[in-house]
Amino acid sequence: MIMLTGVLGAISGVWLAGLIMLGLGLVFAIVLLVASEKLKVPVDPRITQVYEVLPHLDCGACGYPGCSGYAKAVIANPELLGQCAPGGADAASRIAAILNLRISASGPAKRPIVHCRAHTADRTYFAQYQGIPSCTAANALANAQACKFGCLGFGDCVRACKFDALHVIDGLSTVDYTKCTGCGACSKACPRNLIEMVPFSYENMMTVACRSRENGKSTRAFCQVGCIGCGLCAKQSEAFTVADNLARMDYAKYAPCGENEAAMNKCPTGVIVCRGKTAPPPREPKAKSAEAAKG
Amino acid sequence: MDLLYVLLTGFISVVLINNLVFTKFLGICPYIGVSGRIDMAFGMGLAVTFVMTLSGTLTWMIDHWLLMPLNLEVARYVAFIMVIAAAVQLVEMYLKKFFPPLYESFGIFLPLITTNCAILGLCLFLVVWGTSTLIEAVVLSFGGGIGFTIAICIMAGIRENMQMVDVPESLRGAPITLITAGLLALAFMGFAGII
Repeated sequence: MIMLTGVLGAISGVWLAGLIMLGLGLVFAIVLLVASEKLKVPVDPRITQVYEVLPHLDCGACGYPGCSGYAKAVIANPELLGQCAPGGADAASRIAAILNLRISASGPAKRPIVHCRAHTADRTYFAQYQGIPSCTAANALANAQACKFGCLGFGDCVRACKFDALHVIDGLSTVDYTKCTGCGACSKACPRNLIEMVPFSYENMMTVACRSRENGKSTRAFCQVGCIGCGLCAKQSEAFTVADNLARMDYAKYAPCGENEAAMNKCPTGVIVCRGKTAPPPREPKAKSAEAAKG
Repeated sequence: MDLLYVLLTGFISVVLINNLVFTKFLGICPYIGVSGRIDMAFGMGLAVTFVMTLSGTLTWMIDHWLLMPLNLEVARYVAFIMVIAAAVQLVEMYLKKFFPPLYESFGIFLPLITTNCAILGLCLFLVVWGTSTLIEAVVLSFGGGIGFTIAICIMAGIRENMQMVDVPESLRGAPITLITAGLLALAFMGFAGII
């Protein structure tokens, strides 16, 4: 009998505790329910839709922290539509469809071109740089290498690249176009502004792989493969112009044709090269191959 | 006057002498995790203070007016955790509505306040310390939050300055942070016995 009351008492205690907890839970549930109704923040369903069509690389090329940040920004301000470089025209048109916008055809995807083709053996050094192994640091010194315009080869761009598409090969930053998404991080990282984002209208683009505005004599003294501003290319093809001792390519006028081929073959220092997925290796400079023939 | 004296000493005690982080080693997760930048640390401290005051008061009321009269002290832990979880949810909704930038910058750490042991610890300490009046419970739980804020802000200030210091390779990152935390705790032991 005493045992029975004990058991009953224990059960009633448990019941009481359970009821109290149930009641407390109910009170809090009601409070939270009311609060969630009162404090509801309407979320635009298009944000998730736009986020879905983005590439989810979180590369930051658009200037926003990650793809979700860009999704919010593009809905607030549709002018930002074409900012997603890795997504390209495909993502832009799909976002436009979600936002009920019509976009005119956007240009070809941009890819980086390094405006330098000098490997370590081609360069001249006045002294050996032994400072912080970063291009930004080396660029602060006047004499990190003789050429004040060329690639320093410490790989600031390589560290900026999230897609393993850039490597410093023998002192020269080289783009792997099969891996590149065109986000432009390398272009921003280069302290010498050597990396230009070029609209790749064709699989391979011809370019003047030099940025040296030194006069021809100095350029020749500093680098085996620099542009000396001789103007032979401009005589062959309209796509080239020479100013400040440097030939430049107008990419809007470029097409793979005989004239441009001729300009490339005429170049005495071989600084006009093709860049792209299936680009042929750059030509040897005339002087060098002549020397080689002599030797 | 007597009450004021009790409240004041209680407040100083819970902020400096019985600081939850430095002497009880509670709430170490956000203390290490969110102390990278001083503005984030301050925001986190304020959020914890708010949740701590709210849940400390609520749990004291539930404990004293509901559980103790019914001899249901065994249900304390479950009830307290429920109160804290609900309070955090409430704070989260409130911040999302009225302070979206703060909400964004907290990220995952805001829901993690739920599992911040400093808060449950304080609610249980209120019982252990024999807090007898409601006003005392409010002041002590507010003081607990302030103590946490002071701790995390000191830590964030030190860590911000430490970024410019040449720390030995093997100590970089977590090790030097833990060493700093230990030294800080030692320093706070100096407050023991001032009241």
